Amino acid sequence: MSADKLIDVRNLNVTFKGEEGPVYAVSDVSFDLAAGETLALLGESGCGKSVTMKSLMRLHPAHKTRIEGQINIDGVDLLSMRPAALSAMRGKTVSMVFQEPMLAFDPVYTVGDQIIESVMRHEGFSRVDARKRALEMLERVRIPSAAKRLDAYPHEMSGGMRQRAMIALALACKPKILLADEPTTALDATVQIQVLLLLKELQRELGMSMIFVTHDVGVAIEVADRTAVMYAGRIIEEGPVDDVLSNPWHPYTQGLLGATVHPGMDRKQALPAIPGSPPQLTRQITECAFAARCSYRTDECMKPMPAAYQAQTRAVRCIHALAEV
Amino acid sequence: MTALLRVQDLKKYFPVGKDLLGRPTQVVQAVDGVSFSVEKGRTLGIVGESGCGKSTTARLLMHLIEPDEGRISIRGKEFGNISGRHPVAELRRQMQMVFQDSYASLNPRLTIEDSIAFGPQIHGVSEREARQQARDLLEKVGLNPNVFVRRYPHELSGGQRQRVNIARALAIKPEIVLLDEAVSALDKSVQAQVLNLLSDLKKEFGLTYLFISHDLNVVQYISDDVMVMYLGQVVESGPVEQLYQNPAHPYTRALLSSVPSQTPHERKQHKVLEGDPPNPIAPPSGCRFHPRCEHARAICSSQQPETTRVEGLHQAACFMLPANPNHEKYIQLQEVSA
Ligand SMILES: Nc1ncnc2c1ncn2[C@@H]1O[C@H](COP(=O)(O)OP(=O)(O)OP(=O)(O)O)[C@@H](O)[C@H]1O
Ligand SMILES: Nc1ncnc2c1ncn2[C@@H]1O[C@H](COP(=O)(O)OP(=O)(O)OP(=O)(O)O)[C@@H](O)[C@H]1O
Ligand code: SF4
Ligand SMILES: [Mg+2]
Ligand SMILES: [Mg+2]
Repeated sequence: MSADKLIDVRNLNVTFKGEEGPVYAVSDVSFDLAAGETLALLGESGCGKSVTMKSLMRLHPAHKTRIEGQINIDGVDLLSMRPAALSAMRGKTVSMVFQEPMLAFDPVYTVGDQIIESVMRHEGFSRVDARKRALEMLERVRIPSAAKRLDAYPHEMSGGMRQRAMIALALACKPKILLADEPTTALDATVQIQVLLLLKELQRELGMSMIFVTHDVGVAIEVADRTAVMYAGRIIEEGPVDDVLSNPWHPYTQGLLGATVHPGMDRKQALPAIPGSPPQLTRQITECAFAARCSYRTDECMKPMPAAYQAQTRAVRCIHALAEV
Repeated sequence: MTALLRVQDLKKYFPVGKDLLGRPTQVVQAVDGVSFSVEKGRTLGIVGESGCGKSTTARLLMHLIEPDEGRISIRGKEFGNISGRHPVAELRRQMQMVFQDSYASLNPRLTIEDSIAFGPQIHGVSEREARQQARDLLEKVGLNPNVFVRRYPHELSGGQRQRVNIARALAIKPEIVLLDEAVSALDKSVQAQVLNLLSDLKKEFGLTYLFISHDLNVVQYISDDVMVMYLGQVVESGPVEQLYQNPAHPYTRALLSSVPSQTPHERKQHKVLEGDPPNPIAPPSGCRFHPRCEHARAICSSQQPETTRVEGLHQAACFMLPANPNHEKYIQLQEVSA
């Protein structure tokens, strides 16, 4: 592992012990991230993006989850960390903006109290100073009448305000790594671009690294240096964001980009969704996980999948994709 | 044509803050004089600044909260649990909502199947039939029923939960469906699949949709008409092509030009909307957009612009429009230096 890697994930597997047997949510995922770098995580709904992110903070309930592989965060082996060290790390070294704002905020406390509490705990600030920091953060994420909203309960905010408040909470302790799970989907376009620019500014200021989960290719282009595309629990394509998005190699990435609604599309035409549905994650998939839906499929695709093919700065998990390159 | 759904001068103010006696000290003007109507079989897209009152409007339509003022009617009928009105239970058979927060809107103790089958059973469908229907609907929104029926909400991904919510709303077979950010958590291929499903259902059953979304490309694709809100009010509305091709209100223009490009080589230099985000507790005087508007002149801060025709059914509330009764006054007055 090289020293400049803030995050280094090797062969991560996350399995849930469900009532109906195991769910293989994340399979053999490897990636790394340097300081100041941003990775956009794209992919199918249910492919394991949030599960991967939560693993980086070890937020899965231990008794129901099996995590294998290696996760190094800022040089520390996350999977062997003790509870005290873990809770010191969460919100300080690594911070997360959750997909569901209601999960981040406790409905019985005001938004301000929750930010203040976090700042007092991690930064050792007095209550007065922590309140100042909380207010400053709410203002930076452009919450209207921020001073008033400090005393608002989560349910008293609109969806977009809650999401911005969560970004404020996540950034309040100036983390080294920000995991942002669809942080701008609930925002209108004018606020979204402000928040994206703000995150980039804070990133420069703090040298922060980001992983950005998004379904919006436009957002990925705006913030990310690299992108990883996930499908059925694995990363199937990875590389510089411009290269991957302007010239996708994996048939799934091609299908995904092809299904995107573009401005001024013919409204009478049905949208070109990828036919079929993703595989069940209740069995361990060894072949190419996309094979059942892929128009390039051959018998080769059904054999155990080799590791990702590397080509210069890019990687892809499809035996046919590379032949074309 | 008569409207299926008609909304007139709807208002909802939320009390906030508390004084020593626990009395509210201020109010948020969440929805402030909203009027619109939707014809049967059409889709009205609703867009606007976050916090401008879209979800509140939808919750008012569902009678989850009661308006302070204004009227809501479906085919001329008004609903409400007071005498002289039609019962809200009847309304819920005709109108269903998919909520923005997919997590908060599912009962965590019910399996997916129970959640979807619950509504129809209340409305008299047998349990067996309701369960079968739940499975069919799951299939239609792209979730394998064999895998998902017995799962609980926390065992689903965000996009999977959102589709369960769509299935649940459709299970009642309503005429009108309010979709509040209902496809925003889906990947683009599943989103395409769900949008195709919504279009098919609309054709098959003549459904009417109110489609609230921040995704302006999707709104353009799915909507027949679009309504743009800013700070509790409607600032522009009209048929989708006209509104997108020729946005009249400065806020609509700022909104449309903030959409990030979908292709790497056309990355934009964004012109960020300047000024402070609006404060719904003390909204600006006159045109609520004036402190951030590059075209604002003196009249904009003293007087509310009338809703004015742009062309045909396309209308906007801005003094810049030639048809605005105060347009001459706007032209004559000095520009406000920023
Ligand atoms: N506690 C759990 N028990 C069983 N399966 C689970 C659990 N949590 C998640 N899953 C499953 O794991 C898979 C990955 O879920 P995850 O939330 O990571 O998806 P995602 O990529 O974030 O999708 P989305 O874009 O829809 O949010 C999904 O198929 C989901 O159903
Ligand atoms: N229960 C409540 N108490 C106090 N204020 C509220 C309440 N519900 C909503 N508000 C406020 O009313 C305004 C409108 O909120 P609403 O949720 O309708 O916005 P929205 O247009 O749906 O925004 P978004 O796009 O962010 O979801 C916001 O300022 C919000 O904070
Ligand atoms: S009325 Fe005035 S302030 Fe309002 S949008 Fe038009 S020009 Fe701008
Ligand atoms: Mg997710
Ligand atoms: Mg809302």
